[in-house]
Amino acid sequence: MSHTFDEIVVATLQEVPELADVPDAAVVTEFEQIMLVALLFVIMFGMGASLTPRDFLSAIKKPAGLIIGFVTQFAIMPLIAFIMVLTLNLPPWVAVGALLMGSVPGGTTSNIFTYFSKGNLALSVLMTTNSTLFALVMTPLALSIYGAGLVAEGAEIPIQNIIVTLVILLVPVTIAMWVRSKNANVGAVLELMGGVFGIFVIIFLIVTWVPRNWELLLTTPWNVYFVPIMLGPIGIGIAYGLSKLLRLHPMNARTVGLETGIQNGPLAIGIVILSFSGAALDQAILIPVLYSLFIVIIATFITLYFRRANLAEEQDIPSLL
Amino acid sequence: MPAHPWTSQYPEGTSPEIADVTLPHLAAFVRDAADRYADAIAFTQCMPNGMNGSLRYRAVDDLSDAFAAYLREACELQPGDRVALQMPNCLSYPIAAFGVFKAGGVLVNTNPLYTASEMTHQYADSGAQVLVIIDMFADRLPEVLPNTDIEKVITVKVGDFFPPIIAGIIRLVQRYWDRSIPTIDIPHTPFREALEAGRKAIDRGVDVEAYMDGLDHDSLAALQYTGGTTGVSKGAMLTHGNLLSNTRQMLDMIGEDNIRPGTEVVLTALPLYHVFAFTVNLLGFFEVGARNILIPSPRPPSNLKRAFENYPITWMTGVNTLFSALLKERWFLEYPPDHLRASAAGGMALHTAVAQRWREVTGTEIVEGYGLTEASPVLSFNPLSGEIRDGTIGIPVPSTEMRIVDENGEPVPPGTSGEIVARGPQIMEGYWQRPEANEDVLKNGWLHTGDIGVMDEDGYFTIVDRKKDMILVSGFNVFPNEVEDVMTQLEGIAEAAVIGVPDEKSGEQVRAYVVAEDPAPTREEIIAHCRKHLAAYKVPKSVEFRDDLPKSLVGKILRKDLRAELPDEQFGFTPESVVGDPRK
Repeated sequence: MSHTFDEIVVATLQEVPELADVPDAAVVTEFEQIMLVALLFVIMFGMGASLTPRDFLSAIKKPAGLIIGFVTQFAIMPLIAFIMVLTLNLPPWVAVGALLMGSVPGGTTSNIFTYFSKGNLALSVLMTTNSTLFALVMTPLALSIYGAGLVAEGAEIPIQNIIVTLVILLVPVTIAMWVRSKNANVGAVLELMGGVFGIFVIIFLIVTWVPRNWELLLTTPWNVYFVPIMLGPIGIGIAYGLSKLLRLHPMNARTVGLETGIQNGPLAIGIVILSFSGAALDQAILIPVLYSLFIVIIATFITLYFRRANLAEEQDIPSLL
Repeated sequence: MPAHPWTSQYPEGTSPEIADVTLPHLAAFVRDAADRYADAIAFTQCMPNGMNGSLRYRAVDDLSDAFAAYLREACELQPGDRVALQMPNCLSYPIAAFGVFKAGGVLVNTNPLYTASEMTHQYADSGAQVLVIIDMFADRLPEVLPNTDIEKVITVKVGDFFPPIIAGIIRLVQRYWDRSIPTIDIPHTPFREALEAGRKAIDRGVDVEAYMDGLDHDSLAALQYTGGTTGVSKGAMLTHGNLLSNTRQMLDMIGEDNIRPGTEVVLTALPLYHVFAFTVNLLGFFEVGARNILIPSPRPPSNLKRAFENYPITWMTGVNTLFSALLKERWFLEYPPDHLRASAAGGMALHTAVAQRWREVTGTEIVEGYGLTEASPVLSFNPLSGEIRDGTIGIPVPSTEMRIVDENGEPVPPGTSGEIVARGPQIMEGYWQRPEANEDVLKNGWLHTGDIGVMDEDGYFTIVDRKKDMILVSGFNVFPNEVEDVMTQLEGIAEAAVIGVPDEKSGEQVRAYVVAEDPAPTREEIIAHCRKHLAAYKVPKSVEFRDDLPKSLVGKILRKDLRAELPDEQFGFTPESVVGDPRK
C-alpha cells in the first residue's frame, strides 16, 4: 500500500531517534531491498573484475594525475548537495539521502555516457575506479562533515554503518579480482555483467518501485525533486566549466564533467538499505532512487548536447570487448 | 663470398651464413615445430577486455590439416592456386595460412580494412579462387566478387576457437552492441564447418601429406602485395625457400641466447597480414615453440593492457608508432612488463628518442631492423647481443649482402650515399605477372630497394631517404599515384598531388594539393570521397588548394618540389641536396 510523502515524513519525526520499524510505510519492500542489494553485489563483482592489484597501487601512488576529478567528485559534489539541503529546507532524513547522493563515487554508467559523448573512455574508467577506491574514506568523511548540522534536527547519520557497508561491498570486489586473476574469461564476463546489471537496476525500479509508490511520487514536493534532477546537471556543469578553465582538452573536460555528475546511484541505494532501517530508510532512500531514475534521462540529453560538439577525435571501437 | 665489413660485428655464436635449410617447405616446417612442441600453447588471442582463446601446437597442426583437406577436396584447389586471407589477428589466421601451405596453395594476405575497390584489385590481380574472410567485413563482397575469380568464400568469426560461452558472448556483443556483423548476402561456408568437412575427408582416408608432393624451396608460397615504386599494387612472389630462409636468418641474427626455445611469450600486436609480423612473429616464433599472443586490434593502445596484465610477455615486435603510443599510456609506464626480454622494431624508422625511452621504461633492449616485402622482408637488423647503433638499420642478417650503389649500379665507398641493393636467399622471385616491373628492381640477382642509404666502415647501414615518393604512415605504404587517382576521379578536381609530411604520431601523414575546377568541391567532400575508395591510412589528412602544381618539362607533377616547400626543420634535410636521384 502506498503512502503520501507527508505520512512518511511524519512517521520518522515521531519515531526518531529510535528508528522504529514501520513495515507499513515501507517505501522499498523487503523483496526490493534484497533485489537491489543483490544487483549491487553483481555490479561490485563487475567492478572488481575490472581491477588488478596494480590499479589500487597506482591509485594510491599517484592520485595527482586525477586530482581534478578527485576534487570535483569528493569536494564539489557533496558541497552542491549540502547547499541544496540548506536552501531547500528538506526534511532531515530526506536530506541525509541527498548528502549521501552527493558523496558517493562515480558510477560505471558514466563510462557508457562518456563513450557516446566522444569523451576519453580510458580516463572515465580510471576515474570511476579511483573514486570508488577513495570512497572508502571520502564518502564517510564528506557525510560526517556536511551531515553534522543535521544532528540537531534529529537525523544522525550512521557513519559506522556506512563504513561497514562499504567494507562489506569490498568483499565481492575482492572475490572478483581473485577470480579474474585465475581466469581472464570469467573475469571479463563478470565485468560485462556488472555493466549490464547497472541498467537492470533502473529497469527494476521502473517496473516495481515506481508504480507501487505512485502516490508518494505525486505528493512529493518540488524541493525534494529538485535535488535528484539538478544534482547531476549542476555537477556536470561545474566540473566541465572548471576543467575548461584549467584548459583541459575538450574531450577530457567532457569526461570529467560526466564522471563527476553521474554518481553511483545503485551504491547509494545499497548503502541506505544496508545502513539504515525503518522510517529513516524510507526517507533517505527517496533521493537516491529518484536520482538513479532521472540521471539516465538527464545524462542522455547532456550526451546528445556533447555529441554536437564539433570535434575531430572519435573513438573507433566500442570498448565492450 | 668475400669478407664484408659487417662480418666482424656478428655476435658470438652467429655465423655469417645460415645453415642449409633442410625442411623442404613451410608445410613441413609447421609439422616439424608442432611435433616438437605438441602440447605447448601456440596461440592465444586476447581481446581488449581480456576474453581469450588458445590453441596448442598439436591443434594448430591438426586443424590446418583439416583445412588443407577442405581446400583440396571441397574447393578442388590445385597446387599453386591462390587463396586470399583477409582477417585481423585471430586464432583462425594460423590455421588458415598453414592450411593453405599444406594444400600446396599460394597465400594472398589482404588487409581487412581495404575498401571494395582495393579488394577487387588484389583478388583479381592474384587470381585468387578461395577467400577466407572475417565476417565483419564480408558485406563488401557482393560488389567485389563479380570482378574476381573467387568461387568459394569461407567466413571466420572473431571468437572462433574460444570457449563456447565466451564465443557466444562476443557474438552477442558484436551483433547487438557494436553492430559490427553485417548480413552476408552471398553463399559462404563458416570456417568451423569447412574444418569439419576437411576432418571427415581425412577420416575417410585422404592423405594430406600427398598434397605436398612436388613442393620445394622454389615453389610459390605467398603473393604479398606491395605498391613498389610505381604505385600500382603488385604481388611480390615469395617462395617457400624465401620464407624459410628469412625465418632462419632472423632467428640466427637475434641469437640463441635471446630466444629460448619453448619458453618465449611473444606479443603480436602488428597484423599478421603484414609481412613483418608474418615472418618474424608467426613463422619465427612458431619455430622456437613460443606462445604467440595475438591482438586483433591494437588501437587504441589501451587494448593491449589486458594482454600485458594476463600474460608474461617476453618478446614483442612493433612499429615506432606502437612503441611510442605505449610509452604514453599511464598503465604501461607505471607497470612496464616484468618479463620482457627484448623488442624488435621494423616497418618504419624507429625514432632514437622512442628507442631510448623504451629502454629507460622497460629496462630492456630494443633493436631496429629493415626490410621490404620483396625480401620476405628482413634484410638487416641491429645485433641484439652485439653493438646496437640507434638511428641505423643495423647490419645485414646472415647470408645477406647489402651494398650502396650509385646511379650506374656501381658500389660506392663507405660514407657515401646511394641506393641500397641486396641479395640473399630471401629475395623474391619477382612481381606476379609483371615482368616489366621486375626489370626495375631485380638486376643481376640484386634487389634494388629504391631506398637511399649510407654504409659506415663497420657495415652498419643508415637510411637517408626513402623511395622518393612513397609515404609511410605507421608502417603502411601509401602510394601517391593511387591516392591521386582516386582524388581526380571526383568531379571538380583537375589535378592532384600527394606527398607525405612528417607526423609525430604516424611517422608521416598524407597531404594533398589540389587544383580545382569551378565549382570546386569542399575539403570535406574530397576527404569523404577518399574515405569511400581508400583505406583510412591512405586518406589525406590535409588538403591544400592551389592555382597550379609544379611540373616537369614533360608535364609530370613534381612532388619533390612540393616537398621542398616544406620548412627544412620539418624534414631535417633537403633530400636533393644530400643525394642525387638514383632512378634518373
